[in-house]
Amino acid sequence: MLAFLLRRLALAGATVFLVVTIGFVLGRLTGAPGALLLPDNASSADVDALNASLGFDRPVIVQYLDFLRGVVVGDLGDSYRLHESALGLVWERLPATVELAFWAFLAGFALALVAAVVIHLSGSRILRAVVGWLGATRQAVPDFFFALLLVLIFSVTLGLLPSLGRTSPASLVLPVVTLATGQFVMYLRLLDAALSDQAEQDYVRTAFAIGQSRPTILFTQMLPNALPPVLGMAGLNLGGLLGGTVVVEVVFAWPGLGSLLTAAVSQRDFPIVQAGLLFVAVAFVVVNTLVDLLVARIDPRTATS
Amino acid sequence: MTTVALPPLPEAATSAPPPRPRRRRLRPSAVVGIVMLAVVVGATALRPVLPGFDPFGQDLSRVLLPPFVDPAHPLGTDPLGRDLFSRIALASAVTLGITVAIVCLNAVIGTTVGILAGFFGGRIESALSVLSNTVLAMPVVLLLIAVCAVVPPSAGLTILVVGCTWWVGYARVTRNVAAALRAQDFVVAPRTQGADRFWSLTRHVLPNVWPHTLIIAATDIATIVLVEASLEYLGLGVQPPTPSWGAMIYDGQKYLATDPWLVILPGIAMFLAVGGVQFLSQQFTAEARGAFLRKGARR
Repeated sequence: MLAFLLRRLALAGATVFLVVTIGFVLGRLTGAPGALLLPDNASSADVDALNASLGFDRPVIVQYLDFLRGVVVGDLGDSYRLHESALGLVWERLPATVELAFWAFLAGFALALVAAVVIHLSGSRILRAVVGWLGATRQAVPDFFFALLLVLIFSVTLGLLPSLGRTSPASLVLPVVTLATGQFVMYLRLLDAALSDQAEQDYVRTAFAIGQSRPTILFTQMLPNALPPVLGMAGLNLGGLLGGTVVVEVVFAWPGLGSLLTAAVSQRDFPIVQAGLLFVAVAFVVVNTLVDLLVARIDPRTATS
Repeated sequence: MTTVALPPLPEAATSAPPPRPRRRRLRPSAVVGIVMLAVVVGATALRPVLPGFDPFGQDLSRVLLPPFVDPAHPLGTDPLGRDLFSRIALASAVTLGITVAIVCLNAVIGTTVGILAGFFGGRIESALSVLSNTVLAMPVVLLLIAVCAVVPPSAGLTILVVGCTWWVGYARVTRNVAAALRAQDFVVAPRTQGADRFWSLTRHVLPNVWPHTLIIAATDIATIVLVEASLEYLGLGVQPPTPSWGAMIYDGQKYLATDPWLVILPGIAMFLAVGGVQFLSQQFTAEARGAFLRKGARR
């Protein structure tokens, strides 16, 4: 178990290091920002002076080490336009994005869990086919298009729900429904496959043979065995969920990371983009490592395999 | 291995009629998928042939025509009076080209990484697994946003970034297949005859791995189209004046309350393409998996 822990942590450390390095390389590709920051009529001497004051005249390796130091102490430079700490700006927008992603994950997973349990309790093939078709249809359109359909129906036509901003709890509904229905199919497939897998195991047959009821077997035996690997897969999907959240935020003018980053791109404000990418990537690695350790704690076999 | 020649079996032993080759039966979902795809592909292929459908020509006297009103513009026109049918059809062709390029890049990178990791194991596997985790840790939308802060967005950039990052699924599956093959007799045996590992890799491992790559590619096409559309929606993909589904929907969004078809029609085209591929690939994957299970590894 200790060896597994150490290996997992080393892997996570190496991944974070690689991500940070890619972030640095992208930053270097932008070149020195002096010309962007000063007015168009600034002299080239002024530009050079500003670049020097920002440290862009030093050797690349020194800049890289300085960047690594910044990552460790949580200083990724200031935004070119807003002159505030880039990481601070990202941090400020984070709660809105996390709120959206959290509710979307919860709603999507809960919905899939209920659907999978009902399918396996009833044993109905028709129900499984119908739910599967509905899910596949939802997955055949991108989030932003589904979101606009929801806006067209519930905001424009029925006038029931707000379509823009983050003003009341009601403004959560449409973005969360958009993201949750998109995630639903994947979770349902994973849960359904895991439960079907368990259903073929000998212990389940034995449980039926000694007369335990279907709900008892499902809830006390099959689900606890089926859930850990599915949770691990769901953790791996966190990156996809955050990527999806970025797009949905733009549709609903949700004041989160996605809106911040897309605005930063059009203003060529690289430090914000870099801070956002690094933050999400590091968060992803941390969450995944935790999920892995959690799964290993629940099911020690995964640690030894 | 030497083969021992067996005497031919007497006629009587084979008296039972040879099993008739089973007819390939299309699942209902595959039929639906084919019909959906046929609509999109048909429109895409017909557009350059039919006269009068110009995706770029503006006509400011005929802006925002609703669909099915003017026979010259069967699906109506956009705010600049451009023909929607032509624009949607051209966008499908563009999407098709980009998707094929991305899927090919993904398949090559992912399969290479997977085979190397699975066949050699050990340190190579650990290094490649760090690489996979790094790629997974950076959501492709965020990565492309970051790259576009440096380089102006274009179709080529989309191909490069998505093509070089969306391969982890291929690597996972092919790694497992290659790892399972590594210790098989027919893979190890040639080494006793002096063959090097490269021989085993290309002659015995690759032929058993690439069908799995094809299966993943078939299911991945739909996802790639959706990712591409999201990037276009954010303005990070194909640039105007070339039309794209995502950008058309973004532009049409402003007119959602008054002219919703500007959003709905490109959305339907995308739904037909993505859904068609999804339903069709279900048939393909189910059949292929069945065939692998029956045949086992090819020696």
